[in-house]
Amino acid sequence: MDHGTFITAAYTITGLALGWLVLSSMIAMKRSEALAKDLTARKDGDPQ
Amino acid sequence: MHKFANPAQFLRLARPLTPVLFWSGLLLALGACAWGLTMTPAERLQGETVKIIFVHVPSAWLGMGGWVGIAIASIIQLVWRHPLAGISARAIAVPGAVFAALCLATGSIWGRPAWGTWWVWDGRLTSMLILFFMYLGYIALASASSEKGNVSRVAAVFGIVGAINIPIINRSVVWWESQHQKASITLGGSSIDGAYLWPLLVSFLGFGLLYGAIVLMRMRTALADIRIEARMRRLAED
Amino acid sequence: MKPKHQRLVLALVALVALISATLIAASALREEASYFYTPSSLQAANIETGKAIRLGGMVKPGSISRSDDGTTVLFTVQDADASIDVRYRGITPDLFVEGSGVTADGRLAANGDFVADNLLAKHDENYIPRELADMDMHAAQKTGESLSEDGTAK
Repeated sequence: MDHGTFITAAYTITGLALGWLVLSSMIAMKRSEALAKDLTARKDGDPQ
Repeated sequence: MHKFANPAQFLRLARPLTPVLFWSGLLLALGACAWGLTMTPAERLQGETVKIIFVHVPSAWLGMGGWVGIAIASIIQLVWRHPLAGISARAIAVPGAVFAALCLATGSIWGRPAWGTWWVWDGRLTSMLILFFMYLGYIALASASSEKGNVSRVAAVFGIVGAINIPIINRSVVWWESQHQKASITLGGSSIDGAYLWPLLVSFLGFGLLYGAIVLMRMRTALADIRIEARMRRLAED
Repeated sequence: MKPKHQRLVLALVALVALISATLIAASALREEASYFYTPSSLQAANIETGKAIRLGGMVKPGSISRSDDGTTVLFTVQDADASIDVRYRGITPDLFVEGSGVTADGRLAANGDFVADNLLAKHDENYIPRELADMDMHAAQKTGESLSEDGTAK
């Protein structure tokens, strides 16, 4: 029962889970805000 | 509160605040973990595995704190009908569930060498597992709500009633004979040596700031989605 | 299935999971209670050898030793009135230490010893660096503050 394995596992799971959380939140935000901005520009009389 | 009732005003603050929370949180969390892993001593009985504390305890506190946030937002929605209440509750839920899950996973990994088992049905572990399932239930209820802003009344009530689990988790080691040890950090003091306590507190701060950044990102996404829906409807009508 | 219905199903699944967890926990607790013994209650109960039971108590200070071939750990579990010798083959948990609590699944052997299949160690709430381990626990906590300040930890 090598302690290093347990420590590595705990920190890896944490890093992966939080990494996924941050990335997915960030990507969704960028996508939605870009689309909202685009639609607003279009509505405000910008014929495209 | 009413200052930010207007989504535009909220966004004017949220946009610059997001990177501030994110980078400061990331720096503190990574720094604290590096500090904890490399510069703290091996523990008397556990050796190096004690260092799992720097991710396990912040996850526990944030998982619990997240639900408190949901409960508060639910009250604000039901009593004052604040337009951002439901959006903030939804934004808190998924990251809160992740932290609760991480608390369970890191705790299990820690328990195997320290206690001799991956799991026991004691009060603390069981109530934390229940909290995780409650998060899943809340997420499902909230996304089933017909509006994109405020959540259904059922979801809001669930958010408030479920908060009873938080003091249960906290008091579980006092009320019941538990495998999980009693509180090491209390209002009276701490039985954690300073060498571990300081990186732990910094880690908690860092992960907390990251949680804040994630919540802001998710709120901004929700507000943008509402704008998109409104525009799409108007464009369809033209 | 419409998305809205999918989500309600998910909420229902979460509710079922929640109730199941609570029920499993409750039944596990009841099960434990029925075959859990302390050294005293074990002596009083007259259990037949070979029956699977759980033993819990405190590890008697000074009682931990290893068999000659090194694979088996021998120790004594005690409570206020009785004690029983235990044999365990395997890796002991980190927190398995004299003076602390332990729970073991296993059975009684013919000679009155308890043969343990696994050990579950109970842990107090203190976290103490290794260097301070030889000192009295209380003094250690006080010194711990000053030691870590001037960075001699590790």
